[in-house]
Order: sequence, then structure tokens, then C-alpha cells
Amino acid sequence: MITLMAAFVLVLQIAMVGQRWLVTNIRVFAAQSFLLAGIANTIAYFNHAPHLYIAAFLTFTLKAVILPVVLERLVRRIDIGQEIAPLVNVPLSLLISGGLTTVGYVVAASFHRPEEATSAANVSVTNLGHNTLAVAVSLFLIGFYMMITRRKAIMQVLALLSLENGLFLAAISLTYGMPLIVELGIFFDLLVAVMVLGILVYRIQETFDSMDVSKLSRLRG
Amino acid sequence: MSSAAVILATLVIPLAAGAASFAARNRRTMEAANLSGFAALLVCAVLLARQVLRAGSVSMWNGFLAADALSALVVLLTAFVALACSVYAVGYFREDEENRVFEADVLGAGTISSLRKYYSLTPLYVFAMLLVALANNLGVMWVAIEGTTLASVFLISFYGRATSIEAAWKYAMIGGVGLSMALFGTILTYYSAHRVLETETLAGLNWSVLVTNAAQFDQTAMKLAFILILLGYGTKAGIAPMHTWKPDAYSEAPVPVAAMLAAAVLNCALYGLIRFYVLTTKCLGPQFPSQLLIIFGLLSVGLAVPFVLVQRSFKRILAYSSIDHGGIMILGLGFGGAFGALGMMLHLTFHSFTKPLLFFCAGNVEQHLKSDLFRRAKGIIHSMPVSGPIFLMSTLAITGTPPFSMFQSEFTIFRAGFENGHWFPATLLIVFLVAIFIGFLVHVAKLVLGADPGLPRVDTSPWKKYSLIGLACVILVLGFWLPGPLFQLIRGAALVARGQ
Repeated sequence: MITLMAAFVLVLQIAMVGQRWLVTNIRVFAAQSFLLAGIANTIAYFNHAPHLYIAAFLTFTLKAVILPVVLERLVRRIDIGQEIAPLVNVPLSLLISGGLTTVGYVVAASFHRPEEATSAANVSVTNLGHNTLAVAVSLFLIGFYMMITRRKAIMQVLALLSLENGLFLAAISLTYGMPLIVELGIFFDLLVAVMVLGILVYRIQETFDSMDVSKLSRLRG
Repeated sequence: MSSAAVILATLVIPLAAGAASFAARNRRTMEAANLSGFAALLVCAVLLARQVLRAGSVSMWNGFLAADALSALVVLLTAFVALACSVYAVGYFREDEENRVFEADVLGAGTISSLRKYYSLTPLYVFAMLLVALANNLGVMWVAIEGTTLASVFLISFYGRATSIEAAWKYAMIGGVGLSMALFGTILTYYSAHRVLETETLAGLNWSVLVTNAAQFDQTAMKLAFILILLGYGTKAGIAPMHTWKPDAYSEAPVPVAAMLAAAVLNCALYGLIRFYVLTTKCLGPQFPSQLLIIFGLLSVGLAVPFVLVQRSFKRILAYSSIDHGGIMILGLGFGGAFGALGMMLHLTFHSFTKPLLFFCAGNVEQHLKSDLFRRAKGIIHSMPVSGPIFLMSTLAITGTPPFSMFQSEFTIFRAGFENGHWFPATLLIVFLVAIFIGFLVHVAKLVLGADPGLPRVDTSPWKKYSLIGLACVILVLGFWLPGPLFQLIRGAALVARGQ
């Protein structure tokens, strides 16, 4: 169940890499966050980790509803060209994402210890399968890749958010999530970060008449 | 006062100062709120240091907030830098106002709202830095470090020029990616400890709890965690090759903000790194983290060399100097042993006292000439009889020339390198530092000395002048005499960094 959902999360991430339209991209991100909230709920239910419900609820409200709405409004408001124009073409990007997923599995494999599968403390990693961790690492890497190759400022923000999704998945699959206060702090930071970056995106648009961050190249040396 | 009250006061005072500035309607109130707030903060920091020296470490709220010698040192330095910067800022922004800088803002934000942005975001920024040092929980520490980035983005884009927005964007994005790596590292640390501690409470990420059990942590996870933390907090500290945001941010931010980035945020980022370094050493032994630190440290110092030699801007050169010093500090930590840790802590302390002075001098020259290019600046000593000589003096101090104190700390780090058998890195470090010394000094000497270009003599405002003279006196005194309690605190911090 969880593995299946995690697989969908990964598919959505790769769909984001292949997507060419900005608004669709934001919606894919929302769907991905929604699934992530589902995973958190499932883990909370089966492993009796009640604080994960709160994290799941926050993921849902913040990442699946509020942030996508804010970002879409930002896109409408500055009325930018809808196409993304990545630096690397789509087929090659998809291929690279595939490669990064493999890397994710290799990294996750190093955490897999069959001999400890019976020990109680290790239950999270073995029961959830290191599949979830592999997906988390892949999300992180693909998010990283998107940040590098996307030129539109708002797409970089989105890439950063999906990278953060990977971290959340890693946290819940490795340890049933971080302690609640830390989780709350991270969500708070995320919210502020998107607001700050949103304002900055708006000002980039105002100042440069474009969202192409490759135009931000006047400072050198 | 009880220790809990001191810790709380340390955190509440900057918040109160920020709120007061936000509510204020004129410049004078904002300046007063910041100055009095940071002065009170420095008093609290000294009290905290005294209590830590007496008791070893203090904590409150079940160890949610805690201070040992290392935290107390970072808090003390942060408070000092914040006060120095706020004194300088008064003169700096008044001059900006006279030069009608704020009215040129593209968005036309207006003088008062620009000033409000500075005077209310800066205390928030300082609060985040203090929380970094006082939070015992590594997750909360991460949140606070991210908080320092978020609070300072708009301070970097303060002037609203195209270039400052570019700098702020790079700062936010590179910082964001770096910190997400650090968060991954924190999650992995939690995971590797999770199986030993078997708790899911908040205490499972408390450093004071982790450090006693670190020997049994999962080694693979801890290894990966340390790499991610080094990359993540290294980005925040501006260690090469993750330093690219630094020159842009330093040259575009208002001078007090840049000075705080260079002298205080650097400490906080390294503080985070040290906490994880201790855990990693306990788990994996010193070999693995030391090697990484030495590689990244040498890379930072080495990378600074060419950029210092051919630098055109006297503000960007300070950024490369800061990359260089960040590198020296982690080299000290990497060399290890009693002298390595002590050298690092001494260097951290002296750097925090010296760096703001350089920024203030550069800021004065820039405001005078309306340019930050070396080729426009010649013979400054004739028109700026205070800033000119102090610029030269602080350059000598920052490049580690005796009798200034940074010579002692660098010497301690060299000694640690040779003593612990790191011959090659230590020799290379000396070569790099000599090159940086020559490059930096030639640039600044040309700027300060030389024929009189006939510029009008400026009497820098009393706020700017006295913050300069005051700091210069501190540096001169530190060259010959390190107060006993401060040295005790530094030694305590070095012991913490060695995991004792």
C-alpha cells in the first residue's frame, strides 16, 4: 500500500520533469503532496504514531492546498508565459531522472540490513521496505536536478518544494517523522520561505521584466 | 538572576527590540530600540557566559534550551557583533538618507519604511542566530539556521537594485538547497540514533542526549549524515565550492547586514557543523570527518587566493577573505587535537571582532566615493583621516600579521597541523595565507596611501567614527591581552568541540 503510493509519488515527480506547462506543474506538485499526506496517514494508522496525523494534516493543508493556490495566483498575477523552457530537453531529462532513481535505490540499499530484520527497533525501515527510502532519495535528487535545469524562477521554487517533499518522505519512512515541534518548525519555515521567495519572484519579474533566472548574471568575480 | 531567566532574556530582548522598531513611527525611536536592545543583549550574553563558566552548562525546559561553553561563546560574539553593527548602522543609514539613496528605490518604498525594514528585521535575524546557539535540539537548530536565511533575504535585497535582487535570489536559493541537505543530514542522524535511544520524543534529537550515546549509532547512516551536514551547513558558512552566493550578497547588502553575515552567521553555521562533528567523531572516530574538513578547508583557502589577487571591488574582496577564514577554521577543527580545536575557537573569536571593522571601513569608503571599485579609490587617507588608517590596520589584522591576535590563532592552527602529522595541508595553508596577505595588503595599501586625489575631506559622522575607533581599540588590546574569563570560555568551547 505504502510502497504503491510511494511509487505514484515518484511517477508524479518524473511527470513534473517531463511537464512543459507551469500551471500543470503546480497541480502535479499538489497531487504529489496529497499522496504524501496519504502515506503519512497510513503510517500513522498502522504504526500507532499519532503525531504523524498532525504532520499529515499539515502536509495536506499547506503543501496540497495553500502553497499551490498561492503559487497559481502568483503565476496569474504576473501573467508570465506559461511554458517552462528547460535548459535540457525533455527526453534527456527523463533519462537523467531514471538514472537518479537508480542512484536513489543504491543509496537506500546501503541502509537495508536483512540480518536485523527481526529486531523491533529496526521495524520502520524493514516494514516500510527500503523502497520508500529509495523513492525519497530519488525525489531529493530529481528535485535537485530540476533546480539546476529550470530557468523560470517560480519553477526553481517548485523544485525546492518537491525536494522538501522527498525529505518529508525520508523522515516518515525512516523514523515515523521527526519530533512534532521540529516538524512544526519545518512547516513554519517552509511557509515563510515560500512567501519570501514569492515576493522575490515578483520583484524579479518587476525589475527584469522576465522570470528567466539566467538573466541574473550581472554579479561576477 | 537564575540561569533560566538569563537564557529567556537573551532570546526575548531581540524580539522585543524588533517589535518596538516595527511599531515605531520615526527613525529615532527605531535607532533607540535597536541600540538599547542590543546593549541589553550584550549584558545578558556576558551574564550567561559567567554562569556557564561557573556551572559548566545550564539548561531549561527539560533541556529544550541549553548552553555550554561553545553556545555561550557564540551568543557572546553574536551579541557583540550585533551591538557594533547597530551603532555603525545609525551613522550609515543617516548618511544614506542624506544621499537620498532610498528615494531612488525602484519601488519607491520611501525612507521610513526602508529603515523600518532594516531595524525590525535585524533583531529578528539576531534572534534566529541566538536560537541556533541555545537550542539543544538539532531539529530546532536547523529551523533556526533556516530562520537566519529567511530573515536576511530582504535585508540583502534592501536597496532594491536589480543587482541586489539578483544577490538575494542566489542567497535564498543556494541557501535553501544547502539547508535542505542539512535537514536530510539531521533526519539521518535522528534515524541512526533512533535505534539506540528507541524514543520518539523530542529528546531523541537533543544534542546533550545524543552525544552520550553516539558511540552506538548506525555508522553508515552517520557517515552519510555528516557528508550532508558538511555540505549543508558548509553552504551556509560559505565554504568552497558552495560559496558562490557570498561575494554577491556581501557586495549588495547594506554594510551592517554584510558585517553580520560575515562575522556572526558564519559562527552559527560553523556551530551547527561542530555539533555534528562531535557526534560523528564519537561514532566513527576522528579520521573520517577530519579528512573531509581538511579537504574542504584547503579548497576554501586555496580558492580565495586568485580571487583576492585580482579583485576589483573592495567589498567583494571581504567576501573572499571570509571564505578564506571559514576555511582556516574548519582546517583547525580538521587538524584535531587540543591545539586544533583551541586554534579554531580563538580564530572564530578574533575573526568576529576584526571582520566588522573591515566592513565598516569599506562601507565608509564606498559611501564617500559612491563606488566599490579599487580603481576609483586612491589616496583615501587624505580625505578620510580616520577610516583610511583604520582600514589599513584592520587589513593587517585580518591577514594575521603580528602583533594582531589573528596571528596567534593562525599560528596555533599551524602548530596543530604539524603536530598531528598533516604536513602537506599545513604547508599549503601557509603558502596560501602568504599569497592572500600579499594580495590583500597591496590592494588596500594602494587604496589608502598614495597621492592626494583632491577629494573633499569628509568628517565621518560621530556614530560611524566612534564605532570604528572603538572596535579598533578592542582589536589592538586583544593583540596583547586576552581577558582571563574570555580565554577560559574559549578553552571551554574548544573542549566541547573535542567532545569532552
